Amino acid sequence: MSDTAGENEGGIESVIPSIYMGQFARLLEQGDMFAMQPLSDEEYVCYALTEEKGFKDSSEIIALLKKSFEAYSNFRAQRMASFCGFQMAREYFAVSEFSDAKQMFDSVASLYRQEGWATLLWEVLGYLQECSRKLGSAKDFVEYSLEMAALPILTVAGVQSFKDCGPAGTASLLQREVVHEEVFRVIGGESGIASNKGNNSLKVSNDHPLYLEIDLVSPLRVVLLASVAFHEQIVKPGAPTLITLSLLSQLPLAVEIDQLEIQFNQSECNFIIINGQRPQSAAISNVQPGRRLETAPVLTLLTNKWLRLTYEIKSEQSGKLECVHIIAKLGPYFTICCRAESPASMNDLQLWKFEDQVETFPTKDPSLAFSGQKATQVEEPDPQVDLTLNSSGPALVGESFIIPVTVSSKGHAIHSGELKINLVDTRGGGLLSPREVEPFSEDSLHVELLGISGLACEDESQTGADSIQKIQHSFGLISVPFLNEGESWSCKLEIRWHRPKPVMLYVSLGYSPYSSEPNAQKLHVHKSLQIEGKTAVIISHKYMLPFRRDPLLLSKIKPVPDSEQMPSLPLKETSILLVSTKNCTEVPLLLLSMSVEVEDDAIGASCTVRHGDEDLVEPALLIPGEEFKKVFCVIPDVNLPKLKMGRVCLRWKRKYGTGEQPDSCSTASEVLTKHSLPEVNVELPPLVVSLECPPHAILGNPFTYTIRIQNQTQLLQEIKVLLADSQSFVLSGSHNDTIFVLPKSSHILGYKLVPLASGSQRLPKVTVTTTRYSAGFQPSIAASTLFVFPSKPYFETTNMGETRLDSVAAE
Amino acid sequence: MIVCVAVVGHQNNPLYIQSFTEADDALKLHHIVHCSLDVVDERVNNPKKSGPMLNETFLGLLYPTENYKVYGYLTNTKVKFILVTTDLDVRDADVRNFFGRFHAAYVDAVSNPFHVPGKKITSRTFAERVSNIVKSFGLSSAG
Repeated sequence: MSDTAGENEGGIESVIPSIYMGQFARLLEQGDMFAMQPLSDEEYVCYALTEEKGFKDSSEIIALLKKSFEAYSNFRAQRMASFCGFQMAREYFAVSEFSDAKQMFDSVASLYRQEGWATLLWEVLGYLQECSRKLGSAKDFVEYSLEMAALPILTVAGVQSFKDCGPAGTASLLQREVVHEEVFRVIGGESGIASNKGNNSLKVSNDHPLYLEIDLVSPLRVVLLASVAFHEQIVKPGAPTLITLSLLSQLPLAVEIDQLEIQFNQSECNFIIINGQRPQSAAISNVQPGRRLETAPVLTLLTNKWLRLTYEIKSEQSGKLECVHIIAKLGPYFTICCRAESPASMNDLQLWKFEDQVETFPTKDPSLAFSGQKATQVEEPDPQVDLTLNSSGPALVGESFIIPVTVSSKGHAIHSGELKINLVDTRGGGLLSPREVEPFSEDSLHVELLGISGLACEDESQTGADSIQKIQHSFGLISVPFLNEGESWSCKLEIRWHRPKPVMLYVSLGYSPYSSEPNAQKLHVHKSLQIEGKTAVIISHKYMLPFRRDPLLLSKIKPVPDSEQMPSLPLKETSILLVSTKNCTEVPLLLLSMSVEVEDDAIGASCTVRHGDEDLVEPALLIPGEEFKKVFCVIPDVNLPKLKMGRVCLRWKRKYGTGEQPDSCSTASEVLTKHSLPEVNVELPPLVVSLECPPHAILGNPFTYTIRIQNQTQLLQEIKVLLADSQSFVLSGSHNDTIFVLPKSSHILGYKLVPLASGSQRLPKVTVTTTRYSAGFQPSIAASTLFVFPSKPYFETTNMGETRLDSVAAE
Repeated sequence: MIVCVAVVGHQNNPLYIQSFTEADDALKLHHIVHCSLDVVDERVNNPKKSGPMLNETFLGLLYPTENYKVYGYLTNTKVKFILVTTDLDVRDADVRNFFGRFHAAYVDAVSNPFHVPGKKITSRTFAERVSNIVKSFGLSSAG
């Protein structure tokens, strides 16, 4: 093909457009005659190529390249498209349209950077350098030149010579050094560049200083990489720690830094490092008086060698201390601002990560190199305030439990102090029960913060105008007045338990030790306390029949499969209700009163309770574990299968031991505990048997022992009475009898007994059986016991005033 | 005559580029190799139905420019070998043979315990072997 090309070149001039469409021909001279020789396809291609190679019109070229650029982009052939773009940019460059050229070159360069093609990038950067030089943009020129100088082109000139690299020159280490020197000349303020066509606008001077910013994704990270590592991750305020600053550059020649400024987020910690070998340049401005100044003996960056500097640093302010920027001054007019990076999270250098060169750590300590961070946490200074919570034992359900909180200053004055109180369920649940129906709690909270009282015995007018007080169910906020060093203040928290559950009380005090300004630093003290909530009393009740009187309750005879059998009470008969209260805490309690409240229907009280609402004469002390019993008489008035009995109301309070009371001005609060009595079944007893006998007997004296049987039905009742003899009595009367009791009437059986022995004796055993209901009755042992005096006793009576004791038997 | 061989990593970064030309257009060869990666991507993403389904796919002629022919070869670790030649009548079998030997040399270079995977190949032995293979390619095809 190459041979024939030469021939055809000779014949190019003789190619003429054809007469026929699409067919080019060659015109040959044969003597005086002209003949047309049709061209073969190959020859035509050569002709066309040669023609096009001589094409000089740049705008046409650019248009064609643009079309192919778009076509390739549509095919997503990114590299081909960028190659077309590169050629377009070269055309723009050739016709001196530098801004267009620069734009295209920039986009091409980013692709080469990403894929790591150093030589191609070198070429493009060379063009970009020239463009910025022609456009007079010193900053761009310096940026591109620095990047070029720091490219990983390690071939020494001569091994592989790349000519025709554009304005960049051959890609070699030597050329990188040339570029390096040139850019540093520009930075230094000399504008002398030999090849420059008299363009002096690249001047860097005092009026036009140059400021480069290198962030975490900048390609200029290869020029200056700053790694900052704190030696400790947590420091106390005012305690010094060490910080290691490491700088790395890939520039081929050594770089001398005049001054380094280390900037932190807390600007009081900023400091400046001066190059000890260039002290005269330290007379540089921007050194504020009072700013910390350090001198490093050497601030020279060698290629790919970390420059490590370690300094002490301390901060008074708590919070995060982070190194933000490292600002390096190279020469009087040039500054590079580099973002600090942590060794733990440093990205690889672009392009250099593919090079097989030695990698070193930013710090000598390998653990710091792997996990060092550019930020450290400065702790809060230790608070010098005591916060104490005193709790006097477990809290009892229902009472307002007082917890005193004391704030005492041990070294810090307290400005704008705030006390936060939180109540949290120890099991993590909330303190609200959403849907439970609890008849005794007024709201659905389990534990509630009722209030916070200031210093006891002081009136409300003491609270200042700017003190905050906010109480919610499980959260409270109160402001603490100003306290000097050594003073103390206390308040009392009032918390009520509605349920027995343990609760964590968190109290935290936030204050400023030094001033009352709103943004002064705040210190915090936290205290927590777990408080048990316990049920104080357990109330139980029991129904008993009166002494020596037994109404027949049919429901008791019939076996009912229902395990929960309601107690049955006889209608219009007195039953004894025995209510006992047990103290099930470790705290002694004082009982104030125990009463029975009867439920009132619209029709009036459905049953009468005797001694229902009488207070105790004096509060009864109930030590832990002790039981208190009270007897009530209940007479149901209405015959209902389910009769609501009402509630037992117990008023009590905690008894503080000596020295336990939280405050002498306060007393424990009274608590009302209610216990609902279950419903009872009231029935009309068909038969009532009552045994009557005198309270005591005298030896040898006869007395009458009566058995009365009441028939409260409309039917005739057949009753069998059986009496067994007793050794200690002489009995006169029938042992065995069957009696018929008329409806609505009573039958009385009387026996005369003479006691033969003294002391507590058993009366003859009585058995009463009803045929109709197949039920029998035998009195209990207590009911059949009688005390016999040997001779008539003489009683001394004392005047009891209003006697509360009523004898049931006297009825 | 082979003017350029290249080894390109799976991130499309050059691991090894060597030109065998005395002419000035070494940089242009870099461009050609770079552009040929597009074709490789396309071939990889849209495999021809008639192509052999071998793991070590010889990609064949990637694209012809006016002066050069570019051949490609893909290893199973997504490393690409690119060959640029100025010969106009190149036999397929010769190219396959070349790539086979080149692949063997590459594997030996990468197996070097001092070679860090992902970084450029700097072994001089590899460079020598490659030049030998290139020279012998020229000899065998000339015959």
